[in-house]
Amino acid sequence: MKKELALFMLVITVMGVVASGCLSGQESTSTSTASGETSTPEKTTNVVIYGYGSEMITLDPSTEFSNSIVVLANVYECLVKYTPNGLEPWLATSWESNENGTVWTFHLRKGVKFHTGNTMTAEDVKWSIERTLRMGLGPAFIWDPIDKMEVVDDYTIKFYLKYPANLPLIASSAYGAYIMDSKYLSTIGDDNAIADWLNQGQDAGTGPYIIVKDKYDPKTEIVLKKFDDYWGGWSGDQFDIAVIKIVPDASLREQMVTSGEIQITRDLPLDDLPKLQENPNVKVDQTASYQELYAFFNTKKEPLNNKLVRQALSYAVPYKDIVDYVLHGYGEVAKGPIPKGMLGYFEDLSTYTYDPDKAKQLLAQAGYPNGGFKLLLTYTQGDEAEAKVAEIIKAEWKKLGVDVEIRPMNWEQQWALAKSDPSNAQDILMMYWWPTYPTPYDFLFNMFHCEPEINFNLCYYCNDEFDKAIDEAVTLEGIDPDKAAQLYRKAEEILMEDAPAIFFYNPDDVYVYHKSITGFKDNPGYPQVVFFYDLHKA
Amino acid sequence: MKFREYIVYRLVLAVFVIIGVVTVVFFVSRVIPSDPAALWVGAHPTPEAIEKAREQLHLNDPVVKQFAYYLWSLLHGDLGISIRTHNPVAADLKSAFTATFELILAAEFIAIVIAIPLGVYSAVKKDSWVDNFGRVLAISGVSLPAFWFGIVLQLIFFKHLGILPLAGRVDTVVMLEHPLHVITGFYLLDSLLTGNIPVFVDALKHLILPALTLAMYPIGLITRQVRSMMIEVLNENYIRTAWAYGLPPKKIYFKYALKNAIAPALITVGLSFAYTLVGAFLVELIFNWPGLGRYAAYAILSMDYPAVLGVTIITATAYVFINLIVDLIQVKLDPRIRL
Repeated sequence: MKKELALFMLVITVMGVVASGCLSGQESTSTSTASGETSTPEKTTNVVIYGYGSEMITLDPSTEFSNSIVVLANVYECLVKYTPNGLEPWLATSWESNENGTVWTFHLRKGVKFHTGNTMTAEDVKWSIERTLRMGLGPAFIWDPIDKMEVVDDYTIKFYLKYPANLPLIASSAYGAYIMDSKYLSTIGDDNAIADWLNQGQDAGTGPYIIVKDKYDPKTEIVLKKFDDYWGGWSGDQFDIAVIKIVPDASLREQMVTSGEIQITRDLPLDDLPKLQENPNVKVDQTASYQELYAFFNTKKEPLNNKLVRQALSYAVPYKDIVDYVLHGYGEVAKGPIPKGMLGYFEDLSTYTYDPDKAKQLLAQAGYPNGGFKLLLTYTQGDEAEAKVAEIIKAEWKKLGVDVEIRPMNWEQQWALAKSDPSNAQDILMMYWWPTYPTPYDFLFNMFHCEPEINFNLCYYCNDEFDKAIDEAVTLEGIDPDKAAQLYRKAEEILMEDAPAIFFYNPDDVYVYHKSITGFKDNPGYPQVVFFYDLHKA
Repeated sequence: MKFREYIVYRLVLAVFVIIGVVTVVFFVSRVIPSDPAALWVGAHPTPEAIEKAREQLHLNDPVVKQFAYYLWSLLHGDLGISIRTHNPVAADLKSAFTATFELILAAEFIAIVIAIPLGVYSAVKKDSWVDNFGRVLAISGVSLPAFWFGIVLQLIFFKHLGILPLAGRVDTVVMLEHPLHVITGFYLLDSLLTGNIPVFVDALKHLILPALTLAMYPIGLITRQVRSMMIEVLNENYIRTAWAYGLPPKKIYFKYALKNAIAPALITVGLSFAYTLVGAFLVELIFNWPGLGRYAAYAILSMDYPAVLGVTIITATAYVFINLIVDLIQVKLDPRIRL
């Protein structure tokens, strides 16, 4: 009998091993010898671990438009670094433009080495941007203003633009603006071959960390090791190894960071944060993000095609209560469409406040003294915050006699519905927006500029005066930011009057880190990125 | 039917079952309204990027043609590209599958080691405290949800006692200091084969809590099964005869009684194997175990249908084969069963 039992277990084991072999095809499952040049990290415990909620997607800096910038921003660098206090030199040390902002010259840092050993030159910058444009995927559109590039010498590059644009800001983008080693990558093959090479967990960047190829597992953890020849140099108490560990469960991440199993994490349950703030093992870092929650009114369908109705509903939103109840104070009431800290944000912009009497009055003026209509509101399924906001406004609007049907939908589904015929689409759609790179134009253009074919203008709003203001503002951003800001302000005032959307709140970026590290600085321009180079042992 | 013919017959049947599963899942996933192209291109895409993706993914083709594409690549061992991770699904599944299988094997091992002796002992000492304990364990194992056990175990062994790790397959730092040469993907086996003792110890520690959590259900099932079969067998005439001959109790219980009681229990073991495969999905999320369950959860939430199909094919295949093996073992064990 024991024999049969043993046989059973053996058969199952063999089956598992064989099946795993079949799945892997011909490829050897041995990974530790797979790469020649990326040796295994030497014996050390000098490790910092970032507990992150989502898996990595691709590692191609030209096309990556999702959360893998968490890796890329530590491995590659842009010409310019965005900070909330302004732009800072990164791979470029200085830059200037002609008077109307159509020709930009960037002076590059000397002595910057790629992880491959090659030296970075202006050719690499040209090649990287050209590749991104050629592939035309993901964030490639950020380089749309470029007409041509000219390599003046090894450390100078000139950009000729089709129309004026704030090129240094574009060059600081978290997506699509990383500089790659053209000499090395162009030996690999065509763009797709390069993408495959990169997605195997290899890189050709200049950043302070290198991806350890034989440890690259985008679903479990990504190991980065220190690049000894980094141009910024190293001090003694930085980390030799940085790990991005994928832990989807938020409460698990919370336990791990309090026990010191990981050193830093984010997106923890907001209800737990006050408790964590009292925990001596961890510190809570709270910074304004560049995210905002909106609800778009369907301006093509009755009764929301009536401006007065939209204004009335905008007045009947308890903004402050929402921030307190939904965000537990970790965020602020939005002041219009642009998040706090960005160009085009105005503390004194006159926005909607909670005023139920005024709402009633406006609704009566619009011909609905007792409400009496029904609206369909959709939000992204699984987003607890959106669900709570929806419940609150449903309760508030009921007081006006407006009945709201709340429908949680998968994002792709609700987006598809909104892009279909507006007369059949939902009345209200809730959605977050965050910028590709921190310009107000990214917000205002995508969500409110006239759009012949609906993409993200999900309120179907079209106002020539508004379009003119923002189109002009964006050309001035690089050369006359004050004038640009005033034009943006004008555009925002138009939006406030027309009320095509409700502007709820800007949630904070909340990171929780273990007491064993210091130096963490949140940078809202690079969402979710932890710059490991900044971190030190406490 | 001869034994060999029976195996071939069952294998052919299995292929049909799997094709059926693939067909149903493929068409159901296409009926659910969603836009895979939008998922493929990521946040804030331009209409051109979406159109490009649509062509790349053959989404403009009729569904039947898309199905034909899928089957054709499936025949070549290609499970397609995950829309979310942009990786070949087969590559994604490879590591996930071994992680899950290691967990399930450990869970079944724990279940068998605990449940069979407990079942036998409960039957022999009917209504004793051991029997009562076994009954409580069995009922709670079957009825209480796995995630509850998982959290309780984490609280006890990680938070309060601090002797076992919270989650994951192996500690990052241990793995960095003692790199594991992966041969089969089963960490315990690989670390033993390569003599990497620190990783073996660490992987074993990481395995205990999730495996124990996952083992609760089969423990309950097998204990009850063995107990009731043993009670039945112990009342048989030949056992009484054995007693009358004055054979030693150990021999009577384990050699004569258990041999006849175990056949149905083995079926239970096999079936619980299939159950643990599904149970692992939840347990993996609680313990951050990088297996099929975690992968499937991600795939389902983001409507990544090539990945969902991949997981379904793997699970269905495993299910079918486990059942086949259980049946074959049963035939071998019990000659009364006719093919």
